[in-house]
Amino acid sequence: MIVKALTENGVTANESVTPRPPAKRNSGFWKSVVQQKYLYLMSLPFVIWVFIFSYVPIWGWLMAFQNYKPVKSFSEQKWVGLDNFKELFQDERFYLVLRNTLAMSMLGLIFGFVVPILFAVMLNELRGNIFKRTVQTISYLPHFVSWVVVGGIVYKTLAIDGGIVNDLLLWMNVIDEPIQFMSKGKYFWGVLTAADIWKETGWNAIIYLAAITGIDKELYEAAKVDGAGRVKQMFNITLPGIRTTVMVLLIMNIGHLVGIGFEKQFQLQNNLVTDYSEVLDLYALKYGIQISRFSYGTAISMFTSVVSVILLFTANGLMKKFAKESIM
Amino acid sequence: MNRKSTKTIFTLLLASSMLIAGCGGNSNNAANNTTPNNTGNTPAATNSADDTALDTSPFTISFFGADASPNWNKMQDDVGKAITEKTGVTLEAEFDVGSGGGDQKIAMMAASGDVPDLIFAKGSLSKLVDAGLIVDMTELIDKHAPNLKKVYGENMNRLKYSLDDQAIYQIPTNMGVGQQSFDATGGFEIQHRVLKELGYPEVKTLADYEKVLKDYVALHPETDGQPTIPLTLNADDWKIMITVTNPAFIATGAPDDGEYYVDPETFEAKLHYKRPEEKEYFRWLNGMYAQGLLDKDTFVQKDDQYKAKVASGRVLGLISQEWEYSDGENALKAAGKDEYTYAHFPVTLSDEYKDHSFMQTGIDGYGLAITTAAKDPVRIIKWLDWMSSDEGQVLRTWGIEGKHYTVTDGKREVNPEVRDGLANDTANTQKETGIGQYLIFGARYGDGVKDPTGNYYTTSFPDQIVASYSAAEKESLAGYKATTWKDLFPKEDEFPVKETGALYNMPVPTDGKYQVTFSKTQDIIRKRIPEAILSKPADFDKVYDAFLAELDKAGAQEMEKEFTELVKKRVSLWTGKSL
Repeated sequence: MIVKALTENGVTANESVTPRPPAKRNSGFWKSVVQQKYLYLMSLPFVIWVFIFSYVPIWGWLMAFQNYKPVKSFSEQKWVGLDNFKELFQDERFYLVLRNTLAMSMLGLIFGFVVPILFAVMLNELRGNIFKRTVQTISYLPHFVSWVVVGGIVYKTLAIDGGIVNDLLLWMNVIDEPIQFMSKGKYFWGVLTAADIWKETGWNAIIYLAAITGIDKELYEAAKVDGAGRVKQMFNITLPGIRTTVMVLLIMNIGHLVGIGFEKQFQLQNNLVTDYSEVLDLYALKYGIQISRFSYGTAISMFTSVVSVILLFTANGLMKKFAKESIM
Repeated sequence: MNRKSTKTIFTLLLASSMLIAGCGGNSNNAANNTTPNNTGNTPAATNSADDTALDTSPFTISFFGADASPNWNKMQDDVGKAITEKTGVTLEAEFDVGSGGGDQKIAMMAASGDVPDLIFAKGSLSKLVDAGLIVDMTELIDKHAPNLKKVYGENMNRLKYSLDDQAIYQIPTNMGVGQQSFDATGGFEIQHRVLKELGYPEVKTLADYEKVLKDYVALHPETDGQPTIPLTLNADDWKIMITVTNPAFIATGAPDDGEYYVDPETFEAKLHYKRPEEKEYFRWLNGMYAQGLLDKDTFVQKDDQYKAKVASGRVLGLISQEWEYSDGENALKAAGKDEYTYAHFPVTLSDEYKDHSFMQTGIDGYGLAITTAAKDPVRIIKWLDWMSSDEGQVLRTWGIEGKHYTVTDGKREVNPEVRDGLANDTANTQKETGIGQYLIFGARYGDGVKDPTGNYYTTSFPDQIVASYSAAEKESLAGYKATTWKDLFPKEDEFPVKETGALYNMPVPTDGKYQVTFSKTQDIIRKRIPEAILSKPADFDKVYDAFLAELDKAGAQEMEKEFTELVKKRVSLWTGKSL
């Protein structure tokens, strides 16, 4: 579905100079399929991949309405209606973890967009090719470091005895005694977001850099002739040039607000901050899978998926209306 | 042209990355579409005529261990090679990593039905049993395992799973039968250098312990240029139980029943935090924190940071078990800093309490279970039986004759270099020799039991223990007029054998309300206990009382009732009493 939308998007982008009359849309679609058969063929494996891994497992949602026991066959399972959902929505802890999930993903969304875009634009302005590439390589290396290791690094950096952050702040006389960053729930979201920025900025910037590469060089030359400085070029050519990419990624990421996984939280949390660190997926693991309540875990995951889809469509609709950009 | 192809590539890149990002979102956490192939719990009896003869053809057993085993050398060590040579068996072993416990991994196994042939599941066994993945060993043991029968002897009743399901799902192998401890490895720990400088002060109560740490840190605020840490605890994940919450009952004269305290007369169970004397213990920790004696990082540090601190030698006191901090202590031994290693004391809240560490539970431990995935359970049980034979046991604990130990005039003796290596360079020696790496793979007798040759089955017996002490340790012991740490502790014969066994091993229901409530109370405990310890001393009562109220609000009372019922059933299964 999405593949189709994208390729169509690509088509419209390429052929935007000759808009087709809407009546011929259907035959036009098949015509473009024939024309672009190689693109379609190339996307076919991904369509199959999506079908197998994202659509086939949906039948497992039925488990959310059962009291699922691994040993029994499907027909022997006991049906319990909406019991699992009732329990979920009556649990106070659920609302707490939902708050944490949304808070951390909103922070991630804001900083995960602004920082890499800024970084990509700045990197693009660098002149020396070798220097530019070195910076880019170094910046995306942390992406390949596992969260287990990042967790260790964060704890060591923020430790109160010998942690570099506290040492630095003490040395600069900003604080009088070391701050226990990892023991205060209110700092947790910030620490996690900062760690995430450190780890992912370089990687996320790649896609924007690629988009910047796609901008017509003639536009810059024309702007130079017209007397636009570098800053002006940045705001009037570079940023509008990657607008489509930014919008598309933004919509996709909004769809993921509630499904942020639990790896980083799991690695960074400790007993003192669980009220701020526990996210939906961690809750599903603890109160679902770990104690063999598969049905309950499924109910949580179903909730996540449904909310994701709603968010995705809402974001898409809003963007379509106000920014004239959309992915569907 | 160039620009266009760049654009095409970019579009494709975008398309594929979005596909991966966009549509992987609804992956279900539960591996929900797998139904384990449950082929029934009773393996077919074999037709083999000779049931005890050992087949030595090459045979691979896949295995998962819920405890980390960092020195596992894929059976390429001396003992491992000997086992393969004698039995044909190679273990394809996987162990849990880090602080271990296996909970997550085994939960996934139970969900997917994808299990190894043999498993050391610890507390998670019941999940696998409920999923129908564990084989009942009763018949297998009866037919093929004379040595197992011999070792467990009259304890066979205790191997049964529960009153309602009297199958044998696991053979307890993490403890020795007839074990007599010769040494104490738990309690409250103090570095030898502290004791020496303070002239071996009496350490019996929390107040004594506190005074020792306080006096020493006042004299030496720095150790090797870094601040001295009077006391640190490890609160990372489940280890919070070992060093923070369990010591509360240890110091207040109760035996270890996991998260519960069980009345020895009525068998009524309650979460042990509800005992008023334990509140006093936590109040003491609160005081330690307020005075700056308890490490500020205690509840924040991770397992590795804690071990690194112990290894740095600047931690004066620990409240833990030797196996919990031994990685750090071994590093000190390897560096020759013996005065920085630890002595053990049975510290209690006040004189009226007695440390119950040596109260005997009888046979009741975690062990090995054979799963339905095992193609040849008979071969596995025969292998386990061989491992449990006298030959197998000596191989596992002593190593290979001539190489790791010698027999002179019928007396087994560990080679000095091996003993030295195991004490001071544990990791490398274990990797090379394999001694101590196969302890859980078979039933075994405990310390103090002699084999037919008149030698002990294990390498720890009084002489051996004393021989492995460092000079610093011997000096401290002499200061307290003792030969081993155990001499300082109340002895086994001061207590009756526990009729309930070790209740932290008792299987509990894996579904229904019990698990949910238990998880909820655990969440509360792990959050509120640190909070109470870190609170201002004036607020302690308020925080602690609120904590107890929160437990009951989460359903603790019903959960305790359910546990009480299980305890009663267990006692009647084991002792025949009707309760």
